[in-house]
Amino acid sequence: MTDSTALAADATPSSSRRPAATGKTRRQILGIARLELRRQLLGGRAWITYFLAGAPTLLMLMWPLSPVPKELAGPLEATPIYSGFFVGFLSSSIFLACLVQFMSLFRSEIIEKSLHYYFLTPLRREVLVVAKYLSALLVTTTVFLMAVAASFLLCFSPWGLGELGTYLVDGPGLRHLVAYLGVTALACVGYGAVFLLLGQLFRNPVVPAAVLWAWEAINFLLPAWLKKLSVIFYLKSLLPVPVDDGAFAVLTEPTPWWLSVPGLMLFTVAVLALAAWRARTMEATYGAD
Amino acid sequence: MTTPTIAPFEDEAGISLDDDLIVFDDVSKFYGEVLGINRVSLRLEPGITGLVGPNGSGKSTLMNLMTGLLQPSEGEIRVIGIASDAPELGHEVGYLTQFDAFPSHLTGRQFVASYLRIHGFEPPRVRELTDRAISRVGLEEAADRRMGGYSKGMRQRIRLAQAIAHEPRVLVLDEPLNGLDPMARSEAIDIFKDFADEGRHLIVSSHILHEVDMISDRIVLLTGGYVVAEGEVQGVREEVEERPIQILVRTSRASRLAAALFERGLIVEATLHDDGGGMMLRTRAASEFYRAMNELVPSLDLEVETVTLADSDVRSVYAYLIENEGGAS
Repeated sequence: MTDSTALAADATPSSSRRPAATGKTRRQILGIARLELRRQLLGGRAWITYFLAGAPTLLMLMWPLSPVPKELAGPLEATPIYSGFFVGFLSSSIFLACLVQFMSLFRSEIIEKSLHYYFLTPLRREVLVVAKYLSALLVTTTVFLMAVAASFLLCFSPWGLGELGTYLVDGPGLRHLVAYLGVTALACVGYGAVFLLLGQLFRNPVVPAAVLWAWEAINFLLPAWLKKLSVIFYLKSLLPVPVDDGAFAVLTEPTPWWLSVPGLMLFTVAVLALAAWRARTMEATYGAD
Repeated sequence: MTTPTIAPFEDEAGISLDDDLIVFDDVSKFYGEVLGINRVSLRLEPGITGLVGPNGSGKSTLMNLMTGLLQPSEGEIRVIGIASDAPELGHEVGYLTQFDAFPSHLTGRQFVASYLRIHGFEPPRVRELTDRAISRVGLEEAADRRMGGYSKGMRQRIRLAQAIAHEPRVLVLDEPLNGLDPMARSEAIDIFKDFADEGRHLIVSSHILHEVDMISDRIVLLTGGYVVAEGEVQGVREEVEERPIQILVRTSRASRLAAALFERGLIVEATLHDDGGGMMLRTRAASEFYRAMNELVPSLDLEVETVTLADSDVRSVYAYLIENEGGAS
């Protein structure tokens, strides 16, 4: 260590040592985002997300390489195939990636005993929740928007670029793509908030996550009033091409988009408010004294 | 904790001095059914305060409470005039915790700078404060290496740099000399003294008595979640010297053992139990007492059921610390 007397800090009044108040919250959010993005883009959990996004998309790459069934004359006939693929992608890859990314926002810091670094800064806990959430949302949304766009284009590519272009520009393709991208973003928004909260509330959040996953998976079998107590029901309502849930599915009128979208956003805000309240009462003890 | 209930501490002119103090007012902390600390009232002035006590005595709980990482179950805490649940406390408090953890993918410099950004400092100020803190702990050469490859001593230093980087008025250090080599220990102690000389608070915990004894202006002795003594080091030491330690012994021939111990001048008092199967002893020489017991038990052919410390007063805490850590003078 160097000569401490030479480097002794000034014992100046508090007000002059503190950061400028103007723009402080913005700088704090950017500071958290910088730290979180590095962790979420390069950390071990990021590779799980990349795999979950990449593997189904790579499977879709096989589709143009295999012979196209004769009953599929063009892209329009293939729209139910993509819709089915997307629902599977939504309920497995996007669900699990959100679980991995958002549930670890607080839980992994508790396990690694590093949460106190945040709690010792002059940071409002609700700002911490929002900044962590937005960082994870940016990562998952970006990765899955790219994966959905790529899988969509691959799904309709076997008929050649000309047909694909016609489907996108002159047909419903572009509208469908935007709808799938929108549902993807909404899924990350909704599932992300739920998993962030579960990561705060439960010491072992895997069990409640498994229960939630099972609930979402059997949603198509539930009566109408129970279906509405899920995220997947509202997301499915927004699909541009309805998906066939099979012979055992209980048919329910889909919720119109003008109810589904604001409803999901309100639900997300409510869950985040709960997470912020929980963060305010959290103590960084890590179960030890 | 919006309505302060602590009676203001005033000087002779009636001016409040609480803005300079760390105040615990009848504070208790429970972890469910488990006691952390119980009914602690303290007024700590600027300077170096040593927290001393055995493992599990409540030192870390006390430190976590004064830094806002924990909130009291009962009572109120104000740190230089700021409530312990206020985010503003982060401006004024730096804390080197017992947790040897950090984001290992960062370099030392990134680690310090990251949390300065989260304090809300602007980029030029972040760079200035980061450089100053790293220089202060003498880690310039390793600052741009990933912390995952740091030695224990380097990790301790970079965590110290992170704790002091925003130039807090209160610096709380939990076992700060752990892992440091003798040279680094001496330099760290110099930093602590400089820090206190600037009129700041420095709270240092240790279960190694002589470390705290060496640097503290005053000490707080804890055991079992209770403050058993506090004040200037010399005052506490005198209190300790005057108070013999109590030991409970249950044995088949208590009176014979008491006589042998009196002969050797190792006890100052013995109270025999009514059943004749035990006694309460008072001694000022615990170490010699235990050595003598090792000789007397076989030579007198005694059957000993129990030998245990019977009190948790300041003397027994001191005895525990000295005997277990080989420490104080």
